[in-house]
Amino acid sequence: MLKTQPILYTLITGASSGIGRSTAVRLSRERNLILHGRNLERLQETLQMCSNPERHAIWEFDLRNPGEVEGSLAPLLAAHGRSVEAFVHCAGMVTVLPMRSVDYRTAQEIMNVNFFAAAEIVRVLLKKKVNAQRLTNILFISSIWSRFGARAHGAYCASKAALDGLMRALAVELAPSIRVNSILPGAIRTSMAAQGFADLSIVEKLEHDYPMGTGLPDDIANAIEFVLSGKARWLTGQQIVVDGGRTVNMSLK
Amino acid sequence: MEEFYRKLADILEVPEVKPADVMGGFAEWDSLSILSVIAWLSSDYEIHLHASELWEISTAQNLQDLVVERRGQRR
Repeated sequence: MLKTQPILYTLITGASSGIGRSTAVRLSRERNLILHGRNLERLQETLQMCSNPERHAIWEFDLRNPGEVEGSLAPLLAAHGRSVEAFVHCAGMVTVLPMRSVDYRTAQEIMNVNFFAAAEIVRVLLKKKVNAQRLTNILFISSIWSRFGARAHGAYCASKAALDGLMRALAVELAPSIRVNSILPGAIRTSMAAQGFADLSIVEKLEHDYPMGTGLPDDIANAIEFVLSGKARWLTGQQIVVDGGRTVNMSLK
Repeated sequence: MEEFYRKLADILEVPEVKPADVMGGFAEWDSLSILSVIAWLSSDYEIHLHASELWEISTAQNLQDLVVERRGQRR
């Protein structure tokens, strides 16, 4: 009796906008995707922008509730015999607030979306009965701010540093079957960053600090495509900085 | 509007803020407080101000007027 080959998917969180959407459109040329987001309408928009939309699936879920990931994701996979071979965590939230204004609820929300949700998704995808050991690639979209400080970004910096710490531990724990890496973008023109880019004083500073100017979501999608590919076979446990030269720029003028 | 001034007092860590109070007179009226105000106004009033606009504010009443004006523009 012929054994049915499993259909392998790449799960992209935060696929309804920004880096997640660009990544989905890029990867859809060659991969089956599970597009995750909170907003179904925007996910549907992403789906229609993808190549071969009929090959992809949608997972509508709020990552602010990471404790409910397994109850939502596992049935989605089981219902259609899907397995996830690659997981890209593009979802994230940033709240610009001085530490004295970051109450526990706010900090918890940021940590839930940026870190705990990613950890929980990995845990679920590692379970044999859910994903049959088909996972081979994990990629976290972190930030250059995981390595540096920024005023009023304490909770955000902490969440991205936690993500990269988890990345390194998982790279060691899950090798050689699964590669685990982080991409650390600099300032990217996305809807999440729109408010910042609308402030001329911030734009002026960015133009000064970024030798190659600010980035676009496609700049990160390109890097994601490479890291997930066979060309990155020997790459694991790394923070891959894609920032237009920002973090090496110590120029005074 | 009492809630508006109560919240502003909370951010500035003072017992009370009155409409005629000059923002520059508060010890905690600095760039970090301005970020808190921006986040608060965005969350509670759905308006987005830039730091440069807030630096130009003279009194607490001016801030309230700006919030009312911007909310009116949204409708």
